[in-house]
Amino acid sequence: MAEAPSGLRILLHQHVKERAPVHVSSHADRDRVLEVFRNVILKTEPPENFALQAVQEAIKPQRQTVLVQDENQSLENALRALLQELVSAAVQSGERTMQYGQSIDDGENIRGQIPRLLDIVLYLCERGHVEGGMIFQLLEDLTEMSTMKDCKEVFAYIESKQDILGKQELFGRGKLVMLRTCNQLLRRLSKANDVVFCGRILMFLAHFFPLSERSAVNIKGVFNTSNETKYEKDAPVGVAVDFNFYKTFWSLQEHFSNPASTTLAPSKWQKFASNLRVVLDTFEAQPLGDDNGNVNNLEQEEATFSIKYLTSSKLMGLELKDPSFRRHILLQCLILFDYLKAPGKNDKDGPLESMKEEIKTCEERVKKLLEIIPPKGKEFLESIEHILEREKNWVWWKRDGCPAFEKQAIEKKIGQDGTKKRKPRWRLGNKELSQLWKWADQNPNALTDPQRVHMPSVAKYWKPLADDMDDSAGIEAEFHHKNNRVYCWKGLRFSARQDLEGFSRFTDHGIEGVVPPELLPPDVRSKFHAKPSEKTKRAKKEEVKVAAAQSEDNQVAMPVAETDGGGNGTELEDGVAPMDSDAAAVEESQKQSPEMDSGHEAGQSEAETEAEAENRSDIKVEAVTGAVREVDPDTDPNPLSKDSHGGDRENP
Amino acid sequence: MPEMARRGGGGGGGGGGGDARNWDEEGYRKSILRERELHYRTVFRTAFAPSLNPNPETLIVASSDGSLASYSISACISSVTQLMHFNRKIDEKPVPDFLLVEPLSVIQGHKGPAYDLKFYHVGEEYLLLSCGDDGRIRGWKWTEELNSDLSMGNDLKPLLDLVNPQHEGPWGALSPIPENNAIAVNEQEGSIYSAAGDACAYCWDVETRKRKMVFRGHSDYLHCITARKSSNQIITGSEDGTTRIWDCRSGSCTRIIYPEKNRKLKEHSWVSSVAIDSSESWLACGTGSGLSVWSLLSCECIFSSDSCAPVQDLLFQDNQVLTVGSEPVLTRFGIYGVVLSQIKCAPQSAFSVSLHPSGVVAVGGYGGLVDVISEFGSHLCTFCCQGMD
Repeated sequence: MAEAPSGLRILLHQHVKERAPVHVSSHADRDRVLEVFRNVILKTEPPENFALQAVQEAIKPQRQTVLVQDENQSLENALRALLQELVSAAVQSGERTMQYGQSIDDGENIRGQIPRLLDIVLYLCERGHVEGGMIFQLLEDLTEMSTMKDCKEVFAYIESKQDILGKQELFGRGKLVMLRTCNQLLRRLSKANDVVFCGRILMFLAHFFPLSERSAVNIKGVFNTSNETKYEKDAPVGVAVDFNFYKTFWSLQEHFSNPASTTLAPSKWQKFASNLRVVLDTFEAQPLGDDNGNVNNLEQEEATFSIKYLTSSKLMGLELKDPSFRRHILLQCLILFDYLKAPGKNDKDGPLESMKEEIKTCEERVKKLLEIIPPKGKEFLESIEHILEREKNWVWWKRDGCPAFEKQAIEKKIGQDGTKKRKPRWRLGNKELSQLWKWADQNPNALTDPQRVHMPSVAKYWKPLADDMDDSAGIEAEFHHKNNRVYCWKGLRFSARQDLEGFSRFTDHGIEGVVPPELLPPDVRSKFHAKPSEKTKRAKKEEVKVAAAQSEDNQVAMPVAETDGGGNGTELEDGVAPMDSDAAAVEESQKQSPEMDSGHEAGQSEAETEAEAENRSDIKVEAVTGAVREVDPDTDPNPLSKDSHGGDRENP
Repeated sequence: MPEMARRGGGGGGGGGGGDARNWDEEGYRKSILRERELHYRTVFRTAFAPSLNPNPETLIVASSDGSLASYSISACISSVTQLMHFNRKIDEKPVPDFLLVEPLSVIQGHKGPAYDLKFYHVGEEYLLLSCGDDGRIRGWKWTEELNSDLSMGNDLKPLLDLVNPQHEGPWGALSPIPENNAIAVNEQEGSIYSAAGDACAYCWDVETRKRKMVFRGHSDYLHCITARKSSNQIITGSEDGTTRIWDCRSGSCTRIIYPEKNRKLKEHSWVSSVAIDSSESWLACGTGSGLSVWSLLSCECIFSSDSCAPVQDLLFQDNQVLTVGSEPVLTRFGIYGVVLSQIKCAPQSAFSVSLHPSGVVAVGGYGGLVDVISEFGSHLCTFCCQGMD
């Protein structure tokens, strides 16, 4: 809006004077007040030094610090008159209103008379000396008396005092006046040219009013049906255009501007849906290429954004090729669908089932179309969906009667239902795990406890087997410990760690060879523990054969010696193979009986990890890796070769 | 076919409704026959009549009953508009009802189906040329044709009537007259070229009405022909699966193009349509398996697209190729083989696509249906041709 010439401004002010006559109880009183304040606004000190005295001097109030109703009124009238006086003086001298009375040599920190007057009133209002609405009244007067150019400065003042104006006691008095002032300003501004100022005002309103303030909310969701999109009703002469399509296309806008009417009559919806289908068909028939030119077009368009469609039929062809135009139309569709899908005030009002189906299919088509519009169709659609989702929340919020956004304190809630206790939180997820974790701390003596379950010594472990090996004990084969595969396997692991010499006898004598000789009665001992170096190989082999023959009938798990007679390599190979199966069997039995003796289990797992960590080329490792290999055969394409290799090393 | 009977409605004799007292057996029979005929009628060629108006005005349709009928597009649009709403509602039906439109004028061009029609520009006048299954090429004055009234049995005499030669067998036996499947014209040379069913293409002189040249070489009947005026060549496509370029002066074949050559599958294919662009440097061939575009300058295949449906007609629009075939869509290809758009059109199988300078496209095909599509891709009007009675 162009600034009016100064003559016109004076006229305007006179007009304002006529329109809002200032009633004063008596001229003498008013003059006195005016005189006091005329002097006061010349002071440059902060208002708290003199403002109250000035009021007391001017009004002579009944109570010292607070004005009563009439006094407020007369003060307000006087100040409004003073403001008018100042503004017209500013206009006559050709100065900007907010800078009037500010001499050049005053410098930056000295402000004009009007801001000073406002400061004083604001101070009085803030302290409650005068009625809180007064400052708002003055600001409204001031904006009404000023040109747009001056209003910008007035508004800058308002913005700078936003925190004080927004205080609860002042806000309550002046929110309506402020709203009126802002709306009046917005009405005077051009939507196209003063976008920045409009934005400032809207931002201010957004800050000034609480988020859940209902005054700015279109609570009923009323549509701006006056926003009509006019288009040609008769086919133009001499222009090649599909006029039916043109009409079909622009008739959609009627539905977009007034979605409520679309839902009311099914026939109207049918018409809209069929028209929309025609339009979507056309859009689909002409997908937009991903040209670089289009990108440029979009960028240019941001600069020349227009809020109404251009509906000339001559433009139809161009518009259909325009990606941003297409986006606008499709976006309108999505907004409409969103509205249609939203449930009505009562649940009966919702869309019909058949309609819902149609909406769904249409919506999918529209989204697909939006996705392929360059540039960045996918991103565009995503952000649109996000925005619409928020819009939905907004609609629901309004439907719920605009509840305040402030959440109630949580403590209060607990207090309300006091019986409900806070759920305890476990550091490790649940009670059991946490207890396990804390076990050591809570039982410092556990380690020294003599009753503690711990790993047995080798000798102790092999004792049952040694007893069984004593023929005099007469243990029946089925109860013989060497047939307990789990027992044997565990024992072998023990020996591998604690009694390597004994363990090495396993290759020659089987499980019974591992048993420490001191446990055995002498006759049995001599069978296994003659030093191999003292004998010839031949004798050794014979001995093995004897051992094999001895245990042939009942050795199921250990068919070691049966295939003996070949080289050492094969011997070992055969020895390892059942161990593999043993390991597997152990695993199986562990699965079957998880409640196994915890001491054994602990020892076992320890042995296992150690064996794996050491990774030596002893037979133990072979056994473990063999077990692993069974689980994952892919890792080693030729396990046999590895076995024999390890065996060679084992037997020098 | 209950649908057709219903569509017949009151069109036939007096037998409509439930009143059997004045039952007109003959009329009913006629109406049934007519419906059936109509249903199996095929539009083989559509063409926009030349006019000064930038908008498409008149559409000429050659169809399987041998008729050449002209339709006013604006009249079609206005009558279709009244029915549009009705049509939309029954969109889900496989064969939607389309409006029967009265032609502006209609002449019986040929005995048997009329396959092709072309306009030949002589001085101020336009000659409407048509060819058909009877092996004739006939020419009418366009203005006269347009003004011929709709009265039955009008006997507008053709200005031009050319008949294909019969082949002589042993003992003087004559073969039947081979049919003409397509024609092309070259006004500068004063020639009409015809693609005939005896595997030959013929060149006729308009002035003398004599055959100037015979182009022999294809091994099966010809589907299509187009004239490359800048180099006085013609290009033919044949059932034998080749496209040949002929020199019109010598009558010899200058090049043979195998649009299907690089296909692995050695199944039988054919060349149903050929078209060249306005610069006469690109050639598009529609084949039994799709489309292949060639550069005439380098004689290289630019792209070859295997659509599932055979292409039955195609044309160039600037640097795009519009194709129709045995599926109800109009496909628009970019010059490098990208499918730019696919527009659904009314005929289940389309035999003709034609373009107006304003960008309006007419698609004609099975069911006697013509679909006129605007430059935005929306359907201007869709109608069913009412042929000769």
